[in-house]
Amino acid sequence: MDKIVLHINGIKVEAAAGCTILEAAQAAGVDIPNLCHSELLKSYASCGICAVEIEGNPRLMRACAIQAADGMVINTNSPRAIANRKAALDLMLSDHRGDCLPPCQLACPAQTACQQYVNVAAEGDFDGAIRIIKDKIPVPASIGRVCPRPCEDACRRHMVDEPISIGTIKEFVADADMANGTVYVPAVGEPTGKKIAIVGGGPGGLSAAYFLRTMGHSAEIFDAMPAMGGMLRYGIPEYRLPRNVLDKEIDAIAGMGVTMHNNIKIGVDKDLATLKNDFDVVVVAVGAWKAAALGCVGEDSEGVFGGIDFLRDVSIGNAPNFSGKKIAVVGGGNTAMDAARTAVRLGADAVYNIYRRTREEMPAQAIEIAEAIEEGVDFRYLVNPVEIIAKDGKVSALDLQKMELGEPDEQGRRRPVAVAGAREILPVDIVIVAIGQNAALAGLDVLAQNRWGNIEINGKFQTNIPAVFAIGDVAANGAGIAIEAIADAEAAAKEIDAFLRGTNAVVKHKFLVREDKLTAEDFADVERGVRMKIPHRDGAVRNKDFAPVNLPLTEEAVQADAARCLKCGCDAFDKCKLIKYANMHDVAPDKFEDTAMPTNTQPINSHIVLNTDKCILCGLCVRICEEVVGETALGLMNRGFDAAVSLAVLAPPASADCANCEKCLKNCPTGALSVK
Amino acid sequence: MRIVVGRGSCGNAAGASDVFAAFVAAGFAPAITGCVGACYLEPIVDIYYDSGAKKRFVRVDEKGTDEIIKHLKGEENHVVDYTIGDNDAKILLEQKRVALVNCGVINPEDINEYIAKNGYEAIKAIVAGRTPEEVIEEVKVSGLAGRGGAGFPTWFKWNAARQNAADKKYIICNADEGDPGAFMDRAIIEGDPHAIIEGMMIAGFAIGSDEGIVYVRAEYPLAITRLEIALEQARSGGYLGKNLFGTDWSFDIRIKAGAGAFVCGEETALIASLEGERGMPRLKPPFPAQKGYKGKPSNINNVETLANVPWILRNGGCAFAAMGTENSKGTKVFALAGKINNGGLVEVPMGATLNDVIFGLGGGIKDGKAFKAVQMGGPSGGCIPAELGDTIIDYKSLAETGAIMGSGGMVVMDEHTCMVGLAKFFLEFTCKESCGKCTHCRIGTKRMLEILERITNGEGRDGDIELLEELSGAIKEGSLCALGQTAPNPVLTTLKYFRNEYIDHIKHKKCTAKSCRPLLTFSIKEDMCTGCNLCGKHCPVSGIKGDLWHVHSVENSSCIACGKCTHSCPFGAIVVE
Repeated sequence: MDKIVLHINGIKVEAAAGCTILEAAQAAGVDIPNLCHSELLKSYASCGICAVEIEGNPRLMRACAIQAADGMVINTNSPRAIANRKAALDLMLSDHRGDCLPPCQLACPAQTACQQYVNVAAEGDFDGAIRIIKDKIPVPASIGRVCPRPCEDACRRHMVDEPISIGTIKEFVADADMANGTVYVPAVGEPTGKKIAIVGGGPGGLSAAYFLRTMGHSAEIFDAMPAMGGMLRYGIPEYRLPRNVLDKEIDAIAGMGVTMHNNIKIGVDKDLATLKNDFDVVVVAVGAWKAAALGCVGEDSEGVFGGIDFLRDVSIGNAPNFSGKKIAVVGGGNTAMDAARTAVRLGADAVYNIYRRTREEMPAQAIEIAEAIEEGVDFRYLVNPVEIIAKDGKVSALDLQKMELGEPDEQGRRRPVAVAGAREILPVDIVIVAIGQNAALAGLDVLAQNRWGNIEINGKFQTNIPAVFAIGDVAANGAGIAIEAIADAEAAAKEIDAFLRGTNAVVKHKFLVREDKLTAEDFADVERGVRMKIPHRDGAVRNKDFAPVNLPLTEEAVQADAARCLKCGCDAFDKCKLIKYANMHDVAPDKFEDTAMPTNTQPINSHIVLNTDKCILCGLCVRICEEVVGETALGLMNRGFDAAVSLAVLAPPASADCANCEKCLKNCPTGALSVK
Repeated sequence: MRIVVGRGSCGNAAGASDVFAAFVAAGFAPAITGCVGACYLEPIVDIYYDSGAKKRFVRVDEKGTDEIIKHLKGEENHVVDYTIGDNDAKILLEQKRVALVNCGVINPEDINEYIAKNGYEAIKAIVAGRTPEEVIEEVKVSGLAGRGGAGFPTWFKWNAARQNAADKKYIICNADEGDPGAFMDRAIIEGDPHAIIEGMMIAGFAIGSDEGIVYVRAEYPLAITRLEIALEQARSGGYLGKNLFGTDWSFDIRIKAGAGAFVCGEETALIASLEGERGMPRLKPPFPAQKGYKGKPSNINNVETLANVPWILRNGGCAFAAMGTENSKGTKVFALAGKINNGGLVEVPMGATLNDVIFGLGGGIKDGKAFKAVQMGGPSGGCIPAELGDTIIDYKSLAETGAIMGSGGMVVMDEHTCMVGLAKFFLEFTCKESCGKCTHCRIGTKRMLEILERITNGEGRDGDIELLEELSGAIKEGSLCALGQTAPNPVLTTLKYFRNEYIDHIKHKKCTAKSCRPLLTFSIKEDMCTGCNLCGKHCPVSGIKGDLWHVHSVENSSCIACGKCTHSCPFGAIVVE
């Protein structure tokens, strides 16, 4: 065969005469983006993104269709070629409607593939589901129980009936996995010889160890408390997270070869510098253990506890004696609910929750508030403590200022405003202040802090000290929820891995197509269902012990709930060439606002559907059917912007339903074709 | 004496069929001819007296037909009312006719009339004694360039098809005339179909082809009928078929009716359509001269191009090249449409100015309004403002303005045409007529149209002009065929010459041409209103308030800006802003 020689991006390339520029480039290892091309088919040249600059040619030329010629000098990535490619991608994306990733996954700080595991669970494949979950969450049985579930808030099913019980499904799947005897963990990586010390064994630290092990690094955790688990163990009451569940999950992580040390407080028992010497990288994940103070008169009286301190004491076994006492818990978050419900369980005479706004504005999860009420917590809204009144140094009452709701603040929550002269004295014996937590950095003060007193980090979780990283509650914006610490752990593990290898971590999918204009009307045709009811013990029964509130779930209920999933995310996300190229270019389809988009889903045959919202009209399906399969089940119809793939109008009746070879579907560069 | 009724589509539309029937009913045997070009004068009846004299009657209605019949019978009559005016007659005489030489003169349904005008002499002479190379050379000397729009040298295409050896080659006549406002190809086929046949034969001989195909849009039924008649007569007369003129050269022609997609005028899309595929362009190269219809070398020429060919071969390339400018030879037919007095076809030598055509042959702007601009070349072309009216008609000069020669459509605009609206009109057309294949063209033109729609609705935003320019560049760069590559031209040229109108729409929410309804407000001048309530009676939404004989006012909340009040007010009291 005749050979030709040409230059592509400055590389001398030898190619067979007669091949296209695209083929010549591919042979030389140069990837020219293309969407409408397939080696199975004749060139078509519709998408326009493979256009390259050929020296001496005034026009950009489509690499998929132009024959390479001897002596050609080609630039596949000239500014002009890239601008053209980006323009095409912008236009395609402006006409592309759907969700690359489902809203649940996007809402999850850890980007857990909720839709995927919910769908797998719906089929009863709990083994499959745990693998998907554990790709992102090392302690799912715990997280399933304690997470406030941003995924469910984002779940689009609320436009039909109620969100999928994503967290509960996760809990069930993880419990089922544990019930098998061995807890699933992913394989550890090939040993790299790199040693990482992790300071803090909470959800962030445990997860960092887990992800670093999958990458082959060794991981050693140092924790100040007697047992691993951090806030999961010492901040969450046992009725919400049974300790045996947490223990099993921690054991599984230990089983990945993670060394765990307890009762060692770095900065006190061992200093950071030593750790830094002994390890390649140090990850600080110590959490936020200092309860925020009210700042009112009488706060130093006997009988005033920090919410988090109180919960920790109860967990350790140092529960105060509350019997016969009146307890006030100040604050409206989940910690306040935990403290109040724990106080009830300790036999208090009365437990008040003191909150300056109303139930509507409470940051605690609705279910926590409801359960607290069932258990007998007495909620006092629109009151703010101005003084803790003490008698002989001991708490005797709270002086409360009555409030009303004023204008909304920047987050949209209505601001509490004092009602002049309206005061109330509430006699209490104990005040638990649960209005927030801060980092306590004694002994770690070489690490630079930000204005909130948290460790300052850059976008790669690096502190001011080289090779020292910080994640979770102690870093950046401070205390959050466990899944945020876990998300930090995974992202930081990637950064640490890249740091150790001297490379850059790959930032995936900066750009995603999202559907943000849907309303309940769009789901008018969806059959209504019912969210699963979680069986639980009565408030009056459960408020006397620390046994779990909820009772075991049935497989049937879990599967039925999972089956309600609307499957918002795109099936083809992982193989989608459009999103791949979109993320390789600085796309900006938003400049085309209010664009008209035809919305249409139609069956191609008995089991394949075409979603025109995602079709880029590359014609691959139509051409595969005609040129490769030899059928004409598909065709193109209409002109201009309304041009669309359709069942071939002129197809003979015999071809009206195809042979289901799925070649069209397999070759679709996006998710326009999918199995029903 | 002969009576000839002009029966092109334009004549028939104006009532020539009735005129023709009336003559027959009166016992005469009228003949027909095609469009002479003066559509605004239709129906036209020519009387050729035995004395050799000729009289032309125009705008002949029922009464006019009666008067002519009385005149022919020698009775008292008023034919003088229908006799063509001196000025109109002069306009027809002033033109230099090459492509239209027989249109409106001969009977297109009678081959003998074509032969009487030296028809088929050129092909006979060629077959008898000239080589294909000599024919191509003659066309090269003539400087003939493609009249369909691109202006590519005709000889070059012929030569390329000639050079590509193959067992089979095709000559294709592109009669898929699609530009809005263009109708010269239709008129030529309807008026002089044998010229096309002869032109195709000459091209066929030159490239070595034995088969011609006319791809004509199905919306031209009269053209198809006349062409069918002409083909039949040519075959019977021995002008088409096997072993022509006693040689071993054979040539025949068939007709393929297209389904009316604009993009099928693009040659690769046309070929796809001929092959029974969806009419979508493909990448060139390979060019049709290399791989065309059924993969064989094919030469595609536009109707007007081919109509020039027999004339060139009869009169010599030099005679053709003697007309025109340095870079554009011969004549060009234009279809005048829009706000012009003398709508119709004119043929002028290259080198005439736009003003010559618009104010000379075209008779100026309707209703005495001011000439604002002319759109040349249809949706692929551009808009040339009145101040550039001295631009001469040749490929280079027109291209320098940002417009193109195009196929010859000239849409004339007066002061009341909104240039943003004009750009929107043409973009709407290309957006709809895009084949949908290329991303840039399919989605890009739609996005541009959306922006133009919001601008003309008074919802234009800062940055819209820049976005239009960005999109224009992207579509020109990224589109496969000329449809996409030229689609932004109307926007770009109106932006070039009338940018202020865009800014007025976007920033000041004003349409200075007073054409974009959502931007208009109506009010009544108190000192001029008599309270007659005529406006109120015409208002379809009861949006005018006021007691009889008291000053009225427009209720802006209900006004739909239809303009009926303005037209109904006898006192000019209603102001539009």
